[in-house]
Order: sequence, then structure tokens, then C-alpha cells
Amino acid sequence: MDNDLPGRREAQNLSQGELAEAVDVTRQTINAIERDRYDPSLDLAFELASHFDCRIEDIFDPSGNGDEPQ
Amino acid sequence: MSDTILPTVGTPERTRKVYERAVYAIFVIAIAGLLAGLVFDQEYAGTVIYLVGVWLGAGLAYLLPKWSEVRFYDERDEELSRRASGLAMSVAFVVGLGVVPALYALEAAGQLTITPTMWGAIYAASALYLVWGICYTVVARRI
Repeated sequence: MDNDLPGRREAQNLSQGELAEAVDVTRQTINAIERDRYDPSLDLAFELASHFDCRIEDIFDPSGNGDEPQ
Repeated sequence: MSDTILPTVGTPERTRKVYERAVYAIFVIAIAGLLAGLVFDQEYAGTVIYLVGVWLGAGLAYLLPKWSEVRFYDERDEELSRRASGLAMSVAFVVGLGVVPALYALEAAGQLTITPTMWGAIYAASALYLVWGICYTVVARRI
């Protein structure tokens, strides 16, 4: 699943570690999501959307091919 | 129980690594103690070191996330564990189904003798499948 997480994170001038801390996951999880290696749970997707004050589908594109995570 | 019993060590990332390495070090010491005991004919002392280390390490692995404000495991770690466990069981099933019947057949044909060690491995694998089946049933009832 494609996502716009790197762009949104960098727009807020956050490191992966800072974003991870903000949404209570590890930096590796944020890194995996950004590289399309891991699709977040619904809970985490909502958490990220809440953090960036947008909708889940503004960040994640289910039609994207990604790298076939999961 | 407080969430901040353990102090953080710099960043959350650094804290996680420090405590994870501490737990791994305890396991390594426990295993090294057991091996040293076997090598130097101090089996009892080695066993004590092993048991203390393993229980201490396992206890810390369980309690550290509760005692620290730093998140040690998250959903991706759980997913990794699920996938690794599934893969390991798949390999065990394939090897078990593919190899064990052949061993029986070869022994029946007089081409092979199943040693006590091999029987031990077969029993251990069978026990693993049984435990997995029980755990699967228990988990399935909860979802």
C-alpha cells in the first residue's frame, strides 16, 4: 500500500524517531511503513491520521502497488 | 505499577537498545554458564546459573516494557513474531511429514536404524505439533 508518510513527516520537520515517539511505535515501524514494507494496523493508521490532522486515505493509498507488504 | 520505574537512557531508541542488550547478555551468560559447567564437570553449578539467568532474562523481558515509558515492542514486532513462528512451524511440518514417514519405511526395510537420538527428535517434534495445535485451538476460540 503506497503512502505519503515521508512527505508529511518531512513537512513537519520530524525524524522517523520523533514521529515514532509521537505515535508510540518504534522507529523501525515508521521506517518499514515508509518503505512500503509494512502496512500499519487500523489503530496505527488512525493514530497517524490524527497526528497529521487528516484522513487515513490522505496518507495511505490502498490502490497503490507498494512492494507487496504483508 | 508505575510506568516510569526504569530511567530512560537518552532517546527512546537508545533506551530500547540498552535494555534489550542487557536481556540478551543475561541469556548469553546463562547459556555460557551451562556450557562451562558441562565442560568443567560442574553440572550442578552450570544448571543453577542457567536457570537463574533464563528466568531472570525472561522475567526482565516481560517486565521491562511494563516498567519503562519506552515502548519495547510494537505491532510490527508482533507481526514479525507471528510470521517467524508461522514459517518455523511450516518448516517443521514439511520436514516432519516429509522425513519421518521415510525414516519409518527405511527402518522397516532394514536400510536404517532409528537411533535413540532420532527418536528423541521425532518425539520432540511431535510434542511441538501437539502444543501448537492446542495453542491454535485456544487462540481460535478467542477471535
